[in-house]
Amino acid sequence: MSAKTVCVVPFNRVEGDLKVRLDIEEGRVTDARCSGIMYRGFENILKGRGPLDGLVITPRICGICSTSHLSAAAKALDSIFGAEVPDNGLRIRNITGMAEMIQNDTRHSFLLFMADFTHPHFRKHPLYEEAQRRYTPMKGSDAVQTVRESRRILEIIALLGGQWPHSSFMVPGGVVTVPSPNDISQCRFMVRHYRRWYERQVLGCAIERWREIQSRKDLDDWLEERPEHQKSAVGFFLRFSEAAKLEEQGRGDGRFISFGGFDMPRETGVKSFGNKDQFLGAGFLADGITASLDQEKIVEDLSHCWFENSGPITQHPFSGETRPYATGSESDRYSWAKAPRYDGHPAECGPLAQLAVAGDPLMGDLAETIGSTLFTRVLARLARTAILLPALEGWLQELADGEGESFHNYDPVNEGEGFGLVEAPRGALGHWVKIRDKKIQTYQIITPTAWNASPRDQKEVRGPIEASLVNTTIENPDDPFEAGLVIRSFDPCLVCTVHAIET
Amino acid sequence: MKHTLYWLQCGGCGGDTWSLFNARSPDLAECIDLLDIELLWHPSISVMGLTELRDLNSALITGKKPLNILCIEGSVIRGPAGTGMFDEADGRPKKDLVAALAHQADYILAVGTCASYGGIGADREIEATGLHFHKWKQGGFLGESFSSKKGLPVINLPGCPCHCDVVIGTLSMLLSGAEIELNAFGMPLEWYGMMVHQGCTRNEYHEYRVEEKQFGEKGCMFFYLGCHGPLVNGPCNKILWNGRSSKTRVGVPCFGCTRPDFPQQYPFFETRNIEGIPIDLPDGVSRAHYLAYKGMAAAAAPKRLKKRKTGI
Repeated sequence: MSAKTVCVVPFNRVEGDLKVRLDIEEGRVTDARCSGIMYRGFENILKGRGPLDGLVITPRICGICSTSHLSAAAKALDSIFGAEVPDNGLRIRNITGMAEMIQNDTRHSFLLFMADFTHPHFRKHPLYEEAQRRYTPMKGSDAVQTVRESRRILEIIALLGGQWPHSSFMVPGGVVTVPSPNDISQCRFMVRHYRRWYERQVLGCAIERWREIQSRKDLDDWLEERPEHQKSAVGFFLRFSEAAKLEEQGRGDGRFISFGGFDMPRETGVKSFGNKDQFLGAGFLADGITASLDQEKIVEDLSHCWFENSGPITQHPFSGETRPYATGSESDRYSWAKAPRYDGHPAECGPLAQLAVAGDPLMGDLAETIGSTLFTRVLARLARTAILLPALEGWLQELADGEGESFHNYDPVNEGEGFGLVEAPRGALGHWVKIRDKKIQTYQIITPTAWNASPRDQKEVRGPIEASLVNTTIENPDDPFEAGLVIRSFDPCLVCTVHAIET
Repeated sequence: MKHTLYWLQCGGCGGDTWSLFNARSPDLAECIDLLDIELLWHPSISVMGLTELRDLNSALITGKKPLNILCIEGSVIRGPAGTGMFDEADGRPKKDLVAALAHQADYILAVGTCASYGGIGADREIEATGLHFHKWKQGGFLGESFSSKKGLPVINLPGCPCHCDVVIGTLSMLLSGAEIELNAFGMPLEWYGMMVHQGCTRNEYHEYRVEEKQFGEKGCMFFYLGCHGPLVNGPCNKILWNGRSSKTRVGVPCFGCTRPDFPQQYPFFETRNIEGIPIDLPDGVSRAHYLAYKGMAAAAAPKRLKKRKTGI
C-alpha cells in the first residue's frame, strides 16, 4: 500500500483566499478539493436596495476587475429598462473594458504568475538567473516595468470614467461621460505608448507579425526567427516552459465557456471574429465543437458548498438564493463557492477559453493540439492584448471622428428582470437581477472564478481547477509548490466569492 | 535598519492594493526602495512558501522580529456568530491573526473604508467591522482604548478604494517622524481636511444652482443625482485619480465612499430632498441661509452656464 498524504494549503498571489486540499500518493496528486474560504455576502447586501445600486456596490466585489462588474450590472439594467445604448456608449464601454483586461493580463502574468519562476524550486533550471533578473517582486526588470506601464493603460479609464478602480460611469442607456476631443487624444497617446512597450518588451515584434502565427509550428518558427523574439517576455516564457516541461502540466478536461466580449457598435470599421453582435463571440466549446451560448442552460449546484437551499439542488440564477450556514469542513460541503454548470458540465473560462471559443486561429489550434494546460492558459493571457489593442485603437479613432451621443435616456420601470453577461479579465461573468417595487428583489452573480474554482457537483464531478490538479507531480508535500503554479495559471480571484469567491 | 512592513488582506476586494499600483511619483517599487522598506509580506506580491510564512508570522507574533508598520486592507469579518470563520487563514479565523499582529506593530494603517469603519459588510450577515471604529463609533475590532506600540491610534485612510498617494504619503510622513494630525474619525487632515467638492470642475454650476436631473450633462449633481461632494471629506479633486480625473469631473456623482457609514442605506443616484432642497446640506450650513443663497444664486445664473456653454 502506498503512502498517502493529505495536505490542506492556502495559496497566495491569487486575488483573495483559496485553500486547496490535495491527496498525494507517491509524489502525485490523486485528488483535489478547492475551497473558497472567504464569504462577503454581496448578493444579500444588494437585496432591498435601490434599482441602480448594483452599479455602485458590485464593482466593489473585485478590486482588479471592477469595470467588468460595472459592465455586467449596466447590461442587466439595460435589459430591464429596455434602454438602447448608442454607438458611442458602446465604444466607451468597450474601450474601458479592454483597458482593464489588458491591465489585468499584464499584472497577473508578470507580477503574480512569473514570480513563481524566481522560487528556489527552479534553482536548477537553466534560466533561473534570468527569471530572477526579470521577475523578482518589485525589483526584477520586467516586474518594475509592469508596475510602471500597467498603470498607464488605466489612465484611459480615468479619462473616460473618472477613476480606476471602482467607478460607476456606465449606466442603463450608455455612459455618463462626454469626453472632449483632447480627452480622446490623450487616450490615444496612452494606447500608442502602451503598444510600443507591449511590442518591444512583451512580444518582441509588431502585433501584426505576431498575429501571422496561426499554429504550433508557426510559433516554433517565430521563436527561432529573431533574437528579439527569444528575449521578449513571450519568448522567455516559451524557453522557460520548454526546459521546465510546463506544456503538459495542469491539464484540464478541455470544456470551455465564454460569454464573448464587447458588443459591436451598429456602425463600425472594427472587424469582429466573425460574430456580428460581439467582437469575440460567446459560446460553449466541448469535443472540438463550439455551440452558441444559451444562458438558460446555466445552473449552480449546491451539493458541496456551505449554502442551504429549500428547492432543488441545482438552480438557475434567477431562482437562486444565497443562504450561508457553516458546517465542519470535514463534511461533504467544503467551499463558499457554488458549483456553476453549463448543460450539466463544469467549464473552464478565461483568456484561453475566450479566444478558442471566438475562433482565434492560434489559440484555437493550441486548444485543439495541446489542450487546456498551464502553458496554453498563460500564453493566451500574454497574447490577448495583441487581439484587443487594435480594436481598442479603432474605437478610439471612431470616437474622435464622430459626434454622436454616448447616453440615451430611458424610462425606469418599477418591476422587471434581466441579466448582464460579460467577459471579465478572468472569464465569464454574469449578473442576474430582479426588480420589484423599485427595489432589488434578488441579485445573483456568477464570477469567472466560481466556474474555475468550482467544487464538485452532485454527480461528484470535479471543478476545472480541481480536475487540472490531479496527476500533478509534487516534490515536497509540506509545500506543494507545483500545485500553486497550476492554480495560478487560471488567475483565480477569490475576493469575488460573492457567495463565496472573487472573479 | 530597514523598516519592516506587513500587508494583510481581510474582508475586502483587493482594490486598495491595485489602487496602490497606480502610484506614479514615486511608484510603488520606488517607494519601497526610497523609504527603505522591507516588505515582509504582501499576499499579491510575495513569493514566500507556506512554511516560511508560518515561521514569519510566529516570529512577528512573539515579538522576535520587529514589525514597524502593519497595513490592513478589508474589514475584520466576525461572522458567523462571532466565530470569524467566514474569513479564515490557515484553518483559523483571520481576525485572530489581525489581533496578534496589531499588538506587535509600531504603527497601524487601516487602508480603505472597510478596514477603517467596516464598509460594505458592516451590520450585515458577515458581521464586519473596522479596526478601530465601527462606522461612526470608536471601538471597532481592537477596542476604544487600543493604541499601537508607538502610542498611536489606528490611522484610518478611508476611500473605496483608498487613493495611492494617501497611502504612500502617510508612510512617508510616519517614517520621517513627521506628526500626523488626525480628525475625530482617525483620518489624517492632510488628505481628509477638505471636501471632495473642492477642486471639482463643476463648481461654477454648483455656485449658480445649475443642477442636472439626467445623466450625461455638464452641470452640478448635488440637488438631484445624489452627489456627496459637498458632504464628505476626501482629496479626489485635489490629487485626482490615476493622475487624470475624478468621478465628479466626468459626471459620476460622488457616493461618499470615505464616510464612516459608506455604503449609505438609501438609494444611490438620487438626492433625498424637501421641496427640491437636499436634506443633507454642506457641513455646518444653516438651512434658512442656504435656501436664501440658493434662490438668489439660481436667479443670478449666467446664460452661458444655463445653456451649458463651457468647455468643462
